[in-house]
Amino acid sequence: MQFVARLKTASEIETLHQLGVDVFSVDTKLAIHKLMENQSSDIEAIAKIANSLGRKVYLNINKMIHEEDLGSLQVLLEDAKRIGIDSIVINDMTVYVIAKQLGLESKIIYQPGTMNTDSYSVEYFQNHPIKGITLSREITLNEIRKIAGKAHDLELSLIGHGYLDMFYSKRKLLTNYFKHKNIIGREITNKHSYRLNEEIRADDFYPIIEDEFGTHVFRSRKLITFQELETLEPVLSDFFLERLFLEDEEYYDSIRLYKGVITEEEFLGKYSGYESGFYYLPTELIKGDSNVD
Amino acid sequence: MSIELLAPAGNLEKAKVALLYGADAVYVGGLHFSLRARASNFTTLMLEELVEFAHQRNKKVYVTTNIVVHDEDLVGLDEYLLKLERIHVDAIICTSFAIIERAKQLTNLEIHLSTQFSVTNSKLADYFYDEGIRRVVLGRECTIKEIKEIQTHTKADLEVFIHGGMCVSYSGRCTLSNYMVGRDANRGGCAHSCRWLYDLYDRDELLSHEHDFQMSSKDLEVIEFIPELIDIGVASLKIEGRMKSIHYIATVVLAYRMLIDDYQSGNLKDLDFYQSEIKKAENRLTSTGFLGGEPGVDQQLYNYRSEQPTQEFIALVQDYDEANQLALIEQRNHFTLGDEIEVVSPDKTFHHLKITELYDEDKQPIDVARHPLQKLYINMPHPVKPYDMIRRVR
Repeated sequence: MQFVARLKTASEIETLHQLGVDVFSVDTKLAIHKLMENQSSDIEAIAKIANSLGRKVYLNINKMIHEEDLGSLQVLLEDAKRIGIDSIVINDMTVYVIAKQLGLESKIIYQPGTMNTDSYSVEYFQNHPIKGITLSREITLNEIRKIAGKAHDLELSLIGHGYLDMFYSKRKLLTNYFKHKNIIGREITNKHSYRLNEEIRADDFYPIIEDEFGTHVFRSRKLITFQELETLEPVLSDFFLERLFLEDEEYYDSIRLYKGVITEEEFLGKYSGYESGFYYLPTELIKGDSNVD
Repeated sequence: MSIELLAPAGNLEKAKVALLYGADAVYVGGLHFSLRARASNFTTLMLEELVEFAHQRNKKVYVTTNIVVHDEDLVGLDEYLLKLERIHVDAIICTSFAIIERAKQLTNLEIHLSTQFSVTNSKLADYFYDEGIRRVVLGRECTIKEIKEIQTHTKADLEVFIHGGMCVSYSGRCTLSNYMVGRDANRGGCAHSCRWLYDLYDRDELLSHEHDFQMSSKDLEVIEFIPELIDIGVASLKIEGRMKSIHYIATVVLAYRMLIDDYQSGNLKDLDFYQSEIKKAENRLTSTGFLGGEPGVDQQLYNYRSEQPTQEFIALVQDYDEANQLALIEQRNHFTLGDEIEVVSPDKTFHHLKITELYDEDKQPIDVARHPLQKLYINMPHPVKPYDMIRRVR
């Protein structure tokens, strides 16, 4: 199992390499809640350094793709092919469609957040070959085990650490709210210090980011997968560590935790706000409704 | 190809009313595999009755099988799909590959891709078309310009939402409800956490006032874009609202039916006419969503309050006694002798009158209709038919 860490700056490659990171996750201009915006030349330079260290580079192309994005997507994928990127992490299957036309489908990791919840997702992508799928955020450990039992020629991965997103809107919700309140002069785009607090959940603060592609809301507590790692390691190809809202030190210690450099006790003694997400918590099926058909 | 008006229905009566009032097709939820759990109550027998009712009128029935499945949900899928095929439903609306692929293997059911998949470009629409999916329900984040571009470049039929509530997130990508209350938004359990009230902080600084930060959007209403959508050539115009009342569905369907027919026959009225028809039943603030471009502050819902519909549904016609000029009606809301009413018919006729005679089922005179579903007679100088609606004019 490879550990995939989000790269903040090219100058950080050596640090992450020393920590034992196997793969650098790099944002592109078609990435949501990005840590850095990279042009093709930046990506090429990062790939060159990473490869020289025996490490891999995964590109994030995870915005929802609209008609107007198709041209830049094509160019981005052609660049990825030329550079020889190891993998492309996608949220919208459009990227797979274009990648396939370029013979890049074997690089695709489908990471839509919510859709990969069942064994058949595995079967579908075994019949429509790609590199792998990232299991959905809201499934249990038992479900992961069952799905893994069906995966043969398809890599499985998981975002197993950090603040996971739970909402992606194309609307600019912070901008609109500040206009509504006539609040002017505030920095909005890609600012990571905004939090939402729901009226009857006083102790829960949900990070919210607005970027050029919309608004993203995150869980109030951070996911940790240390206890489950022994179970998951044999079935996962990649373990993604989310970095948003974490100070560098906490992120580096998170990597040290999974690499066995520090113990869970030491880690949780130093950092709070972690939980096991949905691993042991199946969600209820029925009670409400939604505006989708 | 003539454009389809597609309406929601949470039960058999609503489905029939939607079809009578001008929908070309309805979409409904069976007992399994459907989002919107509380409105998914069609048994096989009810579906069968609805399909027969629709097909007799050259109309269609689509069944939502649009949950994002987990392995445990798949029990009984094969039998269910085969039943839907046997009773001749016209299409199923799907999200999960598990259901799509199984339907393709086992049946000849037409498959539509749910808006849960948030398709927002022609390449993906074409991909699914080549995979055997005839129709794609576009994501509600598409502008009119994008819809035109997509339609120009895709082989797939496009279905576009034109009215009703909207997920503020890209549909199918939201787990707010899962995380905040443990209810699976993508399996019919959405708690509408996006409509709750929040405070906004920048680190420790409170920026909002008494939880006045809201993510909610106003409901969709795109009367002004209907002529353009028709010209673009999309296959279907879809109304949201399987939880809505019979009156709401009839009123909204009829308004859009009149608009489509008037435009296509070259007799378009001022758009205010159609909007005022909708307002007779609409109790939520509306906006044009993404169709007019990126939604701004005016499209968001802050300090939400319910709107008052301009008319109130009071009864449904069941029969007409022509000799005595009396209508047999079923009470749906309190009304009294002397109320001014409007009678609206699926054939687009409207009559205004005052209730001057009111009798109970035994034809004894009464002054007030108090009891829900009570059978009553009122004076009716012109003929009416079953399913004509009676509204009190406010």
